[in-house]
Amino acid sequence: MSLLSLRDVHTFIEQFHILEGVSVEVPQGSIVALLGRNGAGKTTTLRTVLGLNPASSGTVTFDGLDITEQKSFDIAGMGIGYVPENRQIFAELSVEENLRIAERKKGELEEKEEMIFGLFPDLKRLIRLPGTNLSGGQQQMLAVARALVADNRLLLIDEPSEGLAPVLIEQMMDAIRTLSEHTTVLLVEQNFIVASRLAQHYVIIEEGRTVKAGEMADLVDDDETIKRYLGAA
Amino acid sequence: MSTETSELTTQTPDSGSSKNRERAEWLQENRVRVTVLAVLIFVFVVALLGLDRDDWFSTIMQGLSVGALTFLVVSGLSLIFGLMDVFNLAHGEFFMLGAYLGWTAYTRADTLIDVAIPMLLLGAPFALMPLWRRIAAMVTLAGRARKTSAIGAIVVGALTAFFTITRFPLVIWDAENFAMTPTNMTVQIDLGTLAPLPAESFSGPAIVAILGVLLGGALIAFGFSVLRKPGMESGAIDMKRLATFGGLIVAALVLHLIKEPVNEWIFGLSTTWRFFLSMGVSVVLVAALGALVEVVLIRPLYDRPIYQLMITLGIGFILIELVREVWGRPEFTMARPAAFAGTGEGCPGQGLGGFFSGCSTVEVFGGRLRVYNEGFVVLVGIVVLVGVMLLLKRTRLGMVIRAGVEHPEMVEALGINVRRVFTMVFALGSGLAALGGVLAAPSIGLSSGMGAVFLLGSIVALAVGGLTSFPGAAVGALVVGLLQQIIIRYGQVGIPIPFVEEPFKPSPTVVPAASIVVMVIILLVLPTGLLGRSEK
Repeated sequence: MSLLSLRDVHTFIEQFHILEGVSVEVPQGSIVALLGRNGAGKTTTLRTVLGLNPASSGTVTFDGLDITEQKSFDIAGMGIGYVPENRQIFAELSVEENLRIAERKKGELEEKEEMIFGLFPDLKRLIRLPGTNLSGGQQQMLAVARALVADNRLLLIDEPSEGLAPVLIEQMMDAIRTLSEHTTVLLVEQNFIVASRLAQHYVIIEEGRTVKAGEMADLVDDDETIKRYLGAA
Repeated sequence: MSTETSELTTQTPDSGSSKNRERAEWLQENRVRVTVLAVLIFVFVVALLGLDRDDWFSTIMQGLSVGALTFLVVSGLSLIFGLMDVFNLAHGEFFMLGAYLGWTAYTRADTLIDVAIPMLLLGAPFALMPLWRRIAAMVTLAGRARKTSAIGAIVVGALTAFFTITRFPLVIWDAENFAMTPTNMTVQIDLGTLAPLPAESFSGPAIVAILGVLLGGALIAFGFSVLRKPGMESGAIDMKRLATFGGLIVAALVLHLIKEPVNEWIFGLSTTWRFFLSMGVSVVLVAALGALVEVVLIRPLYDRPIYQLMITLGIGFILIELVREVWGRPEFTMARPAAFAGTGEGCPGQGLGGFFSGCSTVEVFGGRLRVYNEGFVVLVGIVVLVGVMLLLKRTRLGMVIRAGVEHPEMVEALGINVRRVFTMVFALGSGLAALGGVLAAPSIGLSSGMGAVFLLGSIVALAVGGLTSFPGAAVGALVVGLLQQIIIRYGQVGIPIPFVEEPFKPSPTVVPAASIVVMVIILLVLPTGLLGRSEK
């Protein structure tokens, strides 16, 4: 059964029709990669799930419940974590506060500390620094760590490898693989190699429409589809 | 690779050289800021040195006093603007309303109790909101007809409430009748001869008035629930809501029955206690008004900042007219509470300990200060500054506010109801303005124009300190206060000018112009203010 499913979702941002029929199924316990060219509507799809850009028609269901018209904080509160495109680390807050603010119950950070610092050992020694002092890679790790503090059943991760050095990309992939043992992941990723190594399923969006979806294993050998929708082989 | 180096330096915080380098870097980045601050301090010191010794100390303290009042206004403006980008032009009027409500709670507590009774009844039906939503869901009208009927219900409800509330007993001052003017009541409370006014009775049957107000409240609540989007969660009518509904009605009825002994008790309290009570009442009432304004009027307009400005401006004008209508146009003052009004033997107090002597004035460093203006007001200003800083730095709410200033959507995506935090901050800011108003009432008096004066000072303080920086707001308020008092003092002693016989005496009316000139100069050099961060 799908943990998250979008059916024929349309979304406007102001007067612009950004999503014109997106359908995505995210099976429980899997990693699904959302692929497509720049401006295809991948980020908007994630934002629509969270209600940050609400859908004007179509349905979004999470764990069997219709969340299309719910408020963002209620949707997040049902157990959806978000790692946004530009990381959105709170510069004024320390690393610890950046994690603490994600708590939905008091003391959650202490419970998850071991798991989080196991994935991102660097964060432990940076814990007192203000968010503004972190490097890009450290900010990306903090953004993922922040989504792990609360009990989330689904993570929406937008471009985790963007702007990272190759060695950090490997580390980030390891982390996502480890956390996906307990959490379902919907991933937006420009880097096809990263996406193909992480995800079991894929969905391709082109000009705001879902054009193809299936098993990642089949897509890797399908040069024609890759060339046609993703631009590179 | 600047990020890499900063990472390296933070890894070795104990090495002295890197610390020095950090300091040098900081100076390099902030050299304009440091220079402007140094020039500002230099100008103030020179201006103060031109005064006699006993003059400059009291000038500083008076500047601090005005600065503290300005700070109470500007702190709310800064928090609200920082978090939600709303510039509340009615903030000065919240300050003014705080002063008038404070005066009322202090001088005419019986009037406030008489007004509270119908207000509790009017609020009771709102506790049953889910019931109204459920009934609203049965309304089959759609589109414009639905909207019209909802607004119709609100208007009819408001009229019903208005005409039945006037049937409730109300003892009140009368600006036309000298014995009953607010001015006269202030004199009476100062002399200790003020007593509760003889109780009035309902005009017409009490039950009609009570039911009328409840009906009016129900109609208004119903109208608002029809306006809501259909199909939204309506919640359950649980015991808690029923208890609130019943509790409010019972509270109103009980208050009506026991209001005479309550009035006797309040009027028997010392004016010091009544002053603290009136601070609390005024802050709570204006904070509630602020929350209501945010939810009903500002929230629907978050995408339209210009409309927001216009609506807060309009609220300000409405409040000014309301105050003129209820309290009368003539200005009056609020009597100083007993703890700060002592005269006679042993007064004025001597030295710093004299602030606690109960005298109205104190002699410190050769200058004479008023304990209330230059002592208590400044103290409250400092307490609020420290309190809000602790709130921002040490509490979860403060953490959410600091995060929300930067990325409100991300805070929302973490499962936090940012809109509710907006409302809380709006209420907090309004309450702080009201606190400033109550504090100002005994020192500068009450007038319907006081809000505009302080709003202007606050805007200057906000711009000088940096729009979204809370410590900046405090520094800006200090600059505004000191500048004002130095100009006023030089207006008294005059500035000697070479080869001119008469010293130049600036008129106090140049104060607003001078503070704006200072603001313009600082903004030209430092576009983000003294402590503001550049906006990206």
